[in-house]
Amino acid sequence: MNKALVILEGVSTGYFSETVLKDVNLEIFPDDFIGVIGPNGGGKTTMVKVILGLQPLFSGKLRFPGGRPKIGYLPQASQIDKSFPITVHELVSSGLKSKYSWFPHLSFGQRTRVKRMLEDAGLAGISSKPIGELSGGQLQKALLSRALIDKPQLLILDEPNTHVDKQFEQELYGWLRDLNKEMAILLVSHDIGTIFPMVKTIACVNRILHYHPSNQLSEEVLKIYNCPVDIIAHGPVPHRVLKTHDHE
Amino acid sequence: MSEFLSIFEYQFFRNALAAAVLTSVLAAMIGTYIVSRKIVFIGGGITHASFGGIGLAFYLGLNPFFGAAVFGVMTALGIEWISKKGKVREDSAIAILWSLGMALGIIFVFMTPGYTPNLMSFLFGSILSVRAPDLIILLVFCLLLIIVFAVFFRPILYTAFDPEFARTKGISVDAYRYLMSVLMAVAIVLSIRTVGIILVLSMFTVPQLTAMLFTRNFARIMPLAALWGISGSVIGLMAAYLLDIPTAAAIIFFLTIQFLIIKLIVIIRDQLRRERFRQ
Repeated sequence: MNKALVILEGVSTGYFSETVLKDVNLEIFPDDFIGVIGPNGGGKTTMVKVILGLQPLFSGKLRFPGGRPKIGYLPQASQIDKSFPITVHELVSSGLKSKYSWFPHLSFGQRTRVKRMLEDAGLAGISSKPIGELSGGQLQKALLSRALIDKPQLLILDEPNTHVDKQFEQELYGWLRDLNKEMAILLVSHDIGTIFPMVKTIACVNRILHYHPSNQLSEEVLKIYNCPVDIIAHGPVPHRVLKTHDHE
Repeated sequence: MSEFLSIFEYQFFRNALAAAVLTSVLAAMIGTYIVSRKIVFIGGGITHASFGGIGLAFYLGLNPFFGAAVFGVMTALGIEWISKKGKVREDSAIAILWSLGMALGIIFVFMTPGYTPNLMSFLFGSILSVRAPDLIILLVFCLLLIIVFAVFFRPILYTAFDPEFARTKGISVDAYRYLMSVLMAVAIVLSIRTVGIILVLSMFTVPQLTAMLFTRNFARIMPLAALWGISGSVIGLMAAYLLDIPTAAAIIFFLTIQFLIIKLIVIIRDQLRRERFRQ
């Protein structure tokens, strides 16, 4: 069996004195495709930040059994300042680590890799454009390219389907299926109807975490996991979202 | 015309011209960082808090700009630390340091026995009294900024744009943020000599906003902002001489007029393009 890339052991964390995640356990393996679902404010993004090493822990451990893996990260669109004067080329380049911290410039090989990535993503023609001039789909493509350029072992995507049209969403899910052949994927989404068919396993996060080892999840099981769902309809396709609820 | 050109024969005017150019260059670099990160309010906090240092230096008989630099750097580092810890609202902390600095400045100047310094020169600048040693300090700092931006451009850009992502790439975000805070404070304090505490923030924002009408590329905004800063301040300096008006106010006035004229041209150009597109 493969060695886990990331292990969360009894992790509790939060902001100031408020606990957002309590006693969370999760193992991420190299071929995993985990869908992380949960209500708004349930701690999905906080868990992502724990894995990225950005969130201090109240208790528990974050372990990398094979050494710290390369992690590609696509943050929520709302976290990106679209008015910042940065070009698509600079944005994608920012996913690469410079070899020398004292002279943090890109090598010739790294610059070639950026060029190739921009071509592969269909962004070569707009590489000198500022990100403020991109459509929602183009920006997500650029952000995904930034996450992928360092050839990560684990790709984390936080709500990648917001502010994009349905066509781009389907395109994105197609890429993710292909990418999963090379890397583990952790996909955070509140739109569980869309991600269920694609992911291999599901983690339901609502302060505590319930790991479900398949992508088949009934409303009854979600109730057992303390993650009840509602069926709602907005837009042309009815889909399910999680209902906010208390654990205690 | 010859009477007008004769002004260049005076050393004080040549010094003022050099100070205007150097201040425009350093303000262009630091201002681009300030405007891009949307931290103009922090710049205001540093500027006004530094007045406390000027007052204390007067009271202790030290160089007022040394006092301003110490207060400015401490304020900048304090604001960065507060925003990192997040326990006090950043804008509230800035407002406190802003008004506390001004209050301390006034108290210390009032307590200084004997000669009361000319506060107006600190509030509104005294570019015509700039001497050769001041120019050397400005030049050295400009060169230092050029080197810092040339060597560390990528991490400075990335930590300003998306600090969380930069951290995941192993960039020492805190180190770069603190470095930029110190450079920002020193740049602001050095520019106080040229345009004064009240007007200095315009030097760090208006040329950048003018440049951003032409480009949204961080690396290109800096030289363009320097050009607009130089043109506005040289025109302002000349106008101050010809019209016999305060120099700093004239510089800021022409920087703003420059921005408004170009903004108007851009609006008309965009309107014409839209109409052509409709046809």
